[in-house]
Amino acid sequence: MDQTEAAQPVTDESILRRIERLQLDYISSIDDGPLDNWPQFFTEKCLYTVVSRDNHSRGMELGVMRFESVGMLIDRATATQHAAVFAPRIIRHVLGPMIVDETGEGYRSRCNVVIYQTSPDGDTMLLMAAQYNDIIVELDGVLKFKEKRVVYDTHRIPDSIVYPL
Amino acid sequence: MDGIQTPLDKKDIWSDAGTTRVPYQIYQNPEIYAEELEHIFYGSSWNYVGLECEVPESGDYRRNFIGEREILMIRKNDGSISVVENRCAHRGAQLCQGLFGNTGAALMCPYHQWTYTLDGELTGMPFKRGIKGKGGLNSDFDMKTRGLTNLKVEILNGVVFASFDHDVVPLEEYLGPDMMQYFTRIFDGRGLRVVGYERQIIDCNWKLQMENLKDPYHAGILHLFLISFGLFRLDQESKCLVDDNKGHSVLMTIKDSEEGNEDTGGVRIAAPDFTLTDHDLIQPLLEFGDRISLSIQTLFPSLIIQAQCNTLATRHVLPKGPGSHELVWTFFGFEDDDDAMNDRRLRQANLMGSAGYVTLDDAEALEFSQLGLAGSPEDEVAVLEIGGKDCESNDHLVTESLIRGFYMRYRDVMGHGKAIT
Repeated sequence: MDQTEAAQPVTDESILRRIERLQLDYISSIDDGPLDNWPQFFTEKCLYTVVSRDNHSRGMELGVMRFESVGMLIDRATATQHAAVFAPRIIRHVLGPMIVDETGEGYRSRCNVVIYQTSPDGDTMLLMAAQYNDIIVELDGVLKFKEKRVVYDTHRIPDSIVYPL
Repeated sequence: MDGIQTPLDKKDIWSDAGTTRVPYQIYQNPEIYAEELEHIFYGSSWNYVGLECEVPESGDYRRNFIGEREILMIRKNDGSISVVENRCAHRGAQLCQGLFGNTGAALMCPYHQWTYTLDGELTGMPFKRGIKGKGGLNSDFDMKTRGLTNLKVEILNGVVFASFDHDVVPLEEYLGPDMMQYFTRIFDGRGLRVVGYERQIIDCNWKLQMENLKDPYHAGILHLFLISFGLFRLDQESKCLVDDNKGHSVLMTIKDSEEGNEDTGGVRIAAPDFTLTDHDLIQPLLEFGDRISLSIQTLFPSLIIQAQCNTLATRHVLPKGPGSHELVWTFFGFEDDDDAMNDRRLRQANLMGSAGYVTLDDAEALEFSQLGLAGSPEDEVAVLEIGGKDCESNDHLVTESLIRGFYMRYRDVMGHGKAIT
């Protein structure tokens, strides 16, 4: 992602707390559900991509998921719940500390994330190590993701990715 | 033999001369797996190694696998491509570690700096004559016989294949005329470009992955997304073709001629409960001058070439022991793609790969298969009689004839007794 020259570190504690809460509510919509809440964290026109670091570092945009509107996110949530066949599993996101800058586009938030997956038999494995690169804007007093780029290091994915990340 | 047959009487693990019964042993027995590597992957087969466009500059390499042996596809100084094994002829160290990289004018082992040409010929090593006359190699050491394993290479419209057997039949003959026709339908000689990669480890035998792409029967049943959103129907006009040796195949669906204009072709809503909220996700454009909306070609032993809507990809199956494999997806397009086509390829990739609306189901179902057959009694078998018992081409999708064909070829190559239908 371009580092906008005008980026300034955000030091306002209340904004930092709100952005942290947004991220925690976001992962909770996936980990704890209901998944129908997941699209509401995005602006109507948005970019949600999940791209391997391998592709990203070579300038390739291809992602395992790529959605450009809330509608596409709703379709993913619907399909995952009603039109997909997979073994049940529990997903658990763990976020690292966030680095937040203010830019002309909005707040730019970056943080590390590891995602664990637990099988029906009770085995927990690391699904991926990744980084969130987000652009967050405030609309009518509510913070939303205008962009969420999940760049994952674990580019040999164990089996499949069922839920959003 | 004194009455007890071991599973290694391999001709006998097949209950008859046909391929409607596939013994579960072949998905889990480590000795059978070892023989597959030897006879199939390291034998007289042509194996996919990559696309020429992945190594544009002199010294560029892509590291890959044939069976479980690591190989390097390298662009040489004269512009041609070599494929060598990624194992130093000295003491076996891996030469290159990156998936991609540039090795410069020579290959050098990082351990003792033994150095090779990009064709794998050994050219030198440090202290060859020792220090002050002491140590080093004896004068009878033959550099010429100590090179890297060099593979036979053929390139077909930008796609690179290699074989450990230098006496293998030419690639075009290996594929046969029908498979050539559909291969060159997609790889038509235009310059290729890589759109991106996906890799996933799926814990099932590599052959189950190949079977999945030879099984149109499952596509209209398992893939609820395709069914619910009306993207695939088992009653579509379709074709399944097998080659003369039965190991390769291509299956395709053909867009109804009365169906709308080409910009939205193929999308119809079967279940009113599920309509896509945002149709921009799938706006396919027929791009090969025919009405084929989906084609899946499988080339023996382990390559799948997929064109579903505008997602074009090679899927390369890398065996990792009897119970696992890696699936490497190389999504590609053409150098002359415009921005709109690039966007289509990126969006429609949502259907494919490890999180794909369609292929997520496959990876899951394939692991269910391996888990289900694990530890089965030695004489248990899969039953493949959908669409009859033969291995012929069809004009419908409710058939397992392509899988039966795969095992005809498999039995032949493995020396498991020539199968007959």
